[in-house]
Amino acid sequence: MAYRRLLNLLPRGKESAYNLWIPRFQKPPYVLNQTVENRAKRTLYTSTPLMMKLLSVDEIFARKSLQEHLRKTEAEYSECLQAISGNLVEEQCSEDELKAKRTKVSLLAPLIQTIRELDTKQKEIAETETLLKDEDPCLRELAEVERAGCLEDIQTLRQKILDLLIPEEEIDLSDLVLEVTAGVGGQEAMLFTAEVFDMYQGFAHHHGWSFDILEHTTSELGGLRHASASISGPQSYKRMKFEAGVHRVQRVPKTEKQGRMHTSTMTVAVLPQPTEISFTINPKDLRIDTKRASGAGGQHVNTTDSAVRIVHLPTGVVAECQQERSQLKNREKAMKSLRAKLYSMKLEEETSKRYNQRKIQIGTKGRSEKIRTYNFSQDRITDHRIGMTLHDLKSFLLGEDLLDEMNSSLQEFSSQEILMELLGENSQDSS
Amino acid sequence: MWTRSLSTSYYRCFGCRSGGPKVLWRSHAVRTCSAPALPAGRITPLQAVNLWKRHFEERAVTEPELSSQYIIAHLLGAKTIESLEQERLTEFLSREQTEQIWKLCTRRLSRMPVQYVIEEWDFRDLTLKMRPPVFIPRPETEELVELVLNDLQMKTEMGVPDKMEPTCLEVGCGSGAISLSLLKTLPQLKGVALDQSQDAVDLTRENALRLGLEDRLEIHHIDVMKDAETLLRLIRPVTTLVSNPPYLFSEDMASLEPEILRFEDPAALDGGKDGLKVIKQILTLAPQILSSYGHAYLEVDPRHPPLIRQWVEGNVDRLQFKEARHDITGRPRFCILQKEEVKQGPQAGSGLRN
Repeated sequence: MAYRRLLNLLPRGKESAYNLWIPRFQKPPYVLNQTVENRAKRTLYTSTPLMMKLLSVDEIFARKSLQEHLRKTEAEYSECLQAISGNLVEEQCSEDELKAKRTKVSLLAPLIQTIRELDTKQKEIAETETLLKDEDPCLRELAEVERAGCLEDIQTLRQKILDLLIPEEEIDLSDLVLEVTAGVGGQEAMLFTAEVFDMYQGFAHHHGWSFDILEHTTSELGGLRHASASISGPQSYKRMKFEAGVHRVQRVPKTEKQGRMHTSTMTVAVLPQPTEISFTINPKDLRIDTKRASGAGGQHVNTTDSAVRIVHLPTGVVAECQQERSQLKNREKAMKSLRAKLYSMKLEEETSKRYNQRKIQIGTKGRSEKIRTYNFSQDRITDHRIGMTLHDLKSFLLGEDLLDEMNSSLQEFSSQEILMELLGENSQDSS
Repeated sequence: MWTRSLSTSYYRCFGCRSGGPKVLWRSHAVRTCSAPALPAGRITPLQAVNLWKRHFEERAVTEPELSSQYIIAHLLGAKTIESLEQERLTEFLSREQTEQIWKLCTRRLSRMPVQYVIEEWDFRDLTLKMRPPVFIPRPETEELVELVLNDLQMKTEMGVPDKMEPTCLEVGCGSGAISLSLLKTLPQLKGVALDQSQDAVDLTRENALRLGLEDRLEIHHIDVMKDAETLLRLIRPVTTLVSNPPYLFSEDMASLEPEILRFEDPAALDGGKDGLKVIKQILTLAPQILSSYGHAYLEVDPRHPPLIRQWVEGNVDRLQFKEARHDITGRPRFCILQKEEVKQGPQAGSGLRN
């Protein structure tokens, strides 16, 4: 990842970052978002300051915390290695412990290997340093060349170490269900919801993912009250998860006669789609409602209403579908979105346990955050999580290169955030 | 929307039975001729949907909103109104389109089922041609197919012991929904489909052709009630026998909605006094139709499974009632039976009957 790439986009240094950011959050957050359910969570998120700066690889490596972390990992690795090779006689481990240690060793091996390669390179460079002071100019020149090569290798190895440090999350490999819901702003919010839904359809197309509409509730003027789609393809969840949250639009709506600017919102939810194996639902926990439930059914009745609604009884979570003329197809689609909903509830529970220390919420949580503003009169899109602004709304809404650019930046920020968390640093007081 | 009102399920004015369905149809057809006049100005699809919805409501046509939506969506080249872009729904219709809408909606006014009005419907992954009086497949039958598919797929995965290639026979194929779904999903499967009605045979053939499945489906015009011998001569034993036979009790026929009563072939619905007439015939023939350990799958009335179990035990050799399965609304809807093999030798049969 090019940690450096975005540096120029951002105000340098702590001061300017605060100037930009603090005032926004002194206002009561999310006046526009009327949903109450997430209020408790919201205060948790918004009261925490945001990390504002992308660090370069060198900057990260200059940190004591990283060096400590690497040393600790190495120590842990050798300790596990000794335990499984049976060198530690005094400390007998149980079979389970041994197994865990074996797993640890194989997990850490690539990282340790890279750290060692880096050490070797650093020793090499130290050697060339002495050669640089040699009297022979030829030798000095040679040393110069060698040194440059070493520096390059070191850079690559450091980047590799950082990548290896960030744990691969299993859900990143899954597909997803995208849900869009109009928020505050009536018909205008619904029109904007339709545009955003189209944008993600374009984004899916841009990446070669499949986009299968599950639910689609339109408004009279061509807007969308609510819609959902199943998206699948490589990296689909890993990228789309950064799109979840409240999107805000500022413009003069088509419906506005006096030319006044309106502010409306819509919400994007991104639910990972579990595989059959990773997540099972007991069929006994489901109640399936169809219009055929009353009366005799079968040959007695001919209905065209093939809508299906599935209720997960233990949680009360409901999914429904009426997109298809076949009842079975509707049931399959409703099941798909139910699974995604339940799975995401489960994940959220786990995530909040694991990461309640996390400072900012780029990623799977924080669906109630206002994440982005689409300002039509200034033709700009601003992502509030990373303070990035892009121009050309029309192209952005195609869901192609511009959205991709913003999405990639979010991913880089998120990686850094995970890294800092891993190093036990509070990102804002560390620079 | 889920809040869509439950359709007015039971059609009340069909108290009189003396005249029989034909007479009722005729008398009714006269009454339903008066469709609303074609609008003078131009209208949009959305306006047409609302206008016809209201009109269906006034005339107590069941599922008024959906009927109006499906017919108009169909004329605009879509399956559902939701799948049409908003622009299409709010731009004006041409005169021809409006006339078409009026023509088709007027048919629905005579209580013709939507599936016949638009001449097609979806069954699982397939879109099938629909034409009166051929029986319109019900959602429960999609589950029957699911049941058969699961079993057949499991067998393929485990490897059938004698490497026999799977074959299926469908009795009463109607539009071909069951056979064609099975063939579509299982490329190695071959099938035979029968129906007592020439209309059904023709429609199944047409659907098979449209789906490119005609090479793997033999279709015969045979009445199992009358031509059992022809059937047995014609076919080789199959691994799977499947049927959605007529299973309504004769006495229930008169209380059916006009959509069914007036338009669908009664022979595809009426199963005799106890609804078991055709079922019994199929099960009697099953041991001769099925290969060893072959399975039979039937869709039945929820009252049937215990009756069928009892009857098979007392009347059909070499056929075992395996289980009854429920449909998604929780009604016992499907019966699974299996052909047993009589062991060679002196004790043949006696041990198996229990």
